[in-house]
Amino acid sequence: MLFETIAKIIAERTGCDVSSVKPESTFAELGIDSLDTVELLMSLEDEIGMEIELDQKVTTVDDLVKFVESKKQD
Amino acid sequence: MIKSEICELLSIEYPIFQGGMAWISDGSLAAAVSNAGGLGIIAAGNAPQDYVREQIKVARELTNKPIGVNIMLLSPFADEVAKVVADEKVEVVTTGAGNPSKYMELWKSAGIKVIPVVASAAMAKLMERLGACAVIAEGGESGGHIGEMATMPLVPQVCDAVKLPVVAAGGIADGRGVAAAFMLGACAVQMGTRFLSADECSIHPNYKEKVLSAKDRCTVVTGRRLGHPVRSLRTQFSNDYQKVEYDSSVSDAELEALAGGALRLAVQEGDLKKGCFLAGQAASMVNKRQKASEIIKEVADEAEIILKRASIWVK
Repeated sequence: MLFETIAKIIAERTGCDVSSVKPESTFAELGIDSLDTVELLMSLEDEIGMEIELDQKVTTVDDLVKFVESKKQD
Repeated sequence: MIKSEICELLSIEYPIFQGGMAWISDGSLAAAVSNAGGLGIIAAGNAPQDYVREQIKVARELTNKPIGVNIMLLSPFADEVAKVVADEKVEVVTTGAGNPSKYMELWKSAGIKVIPVVASAAMAKLMERLGACAVIAEGGESGGHIGEMATMPLVPQVCDAVKLPVVAAGGIADGRGVAAAFMLGACAVQMGTRFLSADECSIHPNYKEKVLSAKDRCTVVTGRRLGHPVRSLRTQFSNDYQKVEYDSSVSDAELEALAGGALRLAVQEGDLKKGCFLAGQAASMVNKRQKASEIIKEVADEAEIILKRASIWVK
């Protein structure tokens, strides 16, 4: 669920096909730089209705999914 | 006289910051700018804490006006420098190349006003949420490490995104730039390149000469391949670098190594072959050697005349 939401936001931002975003895709492969990550998180916050403060490095889409899930449980 | 909310917020006379340029913006330059009524900013760059402490001391001996320190967050010494500025209670900290969230509490509890440099509207929003008191929206026309957005579209979008005062930077070197920045919604400007010709700027004479003789198309951007583009004057170094930047047989590590120490060679030795002379696109607008105080007065006076005349366009 969370993965689909993130994949959709990435696809909208980068213009790639949503099916090309895989859990193991790295942000670098997807053409997402650090400033894009900030924007991605802000869009994600709007979708899921909570603030996310990214305080660790995430390399793949799955890293981000796991990070947000851990914050949701806090 | 040009005044804005940023003057009251920071207790400065003119809404003009001098950018924190690594290896260049030392305590003497910052003090000269602050004494002239602007905000002088010491650059921590990649320097260790002792250097930064020493430069703050130099500035404090020369001025009792507010000063700032720019912290480059990618620096290996960022953690220790973050503590030094809190100990020394500098009035303002500006940050570049990243997200300063982990230092915000420390700085705010030391009474420091934090003004991050941002290159996007989302980053500005994030900084507002973390408690920044203003943001510097810096376009890619500037020298050194740059973002991809130009000042003209960046400033109004950052102004729309946050309620904080916005300082415009990138491509501003005279009163016309200041007036334009105010029209875009900014309430202050930051200039770096313009201060390279200041008498109090202690860069090598070759560096000053290169800036003074620069023409409009004299700057180039290198380092995009490594994800951190840098604008500098076109020199032997930038030509050599560009040749290998898109040569796939050269590894990223080799490319990274090629740039190591090049800025120091420019600033301290004036090495015209191996030095990397950072400067913004406004370099060709810097044509005379002046005191920092003359630069600030001249730029502010020009802006005042232009802004007073702005109503001529309304019929």
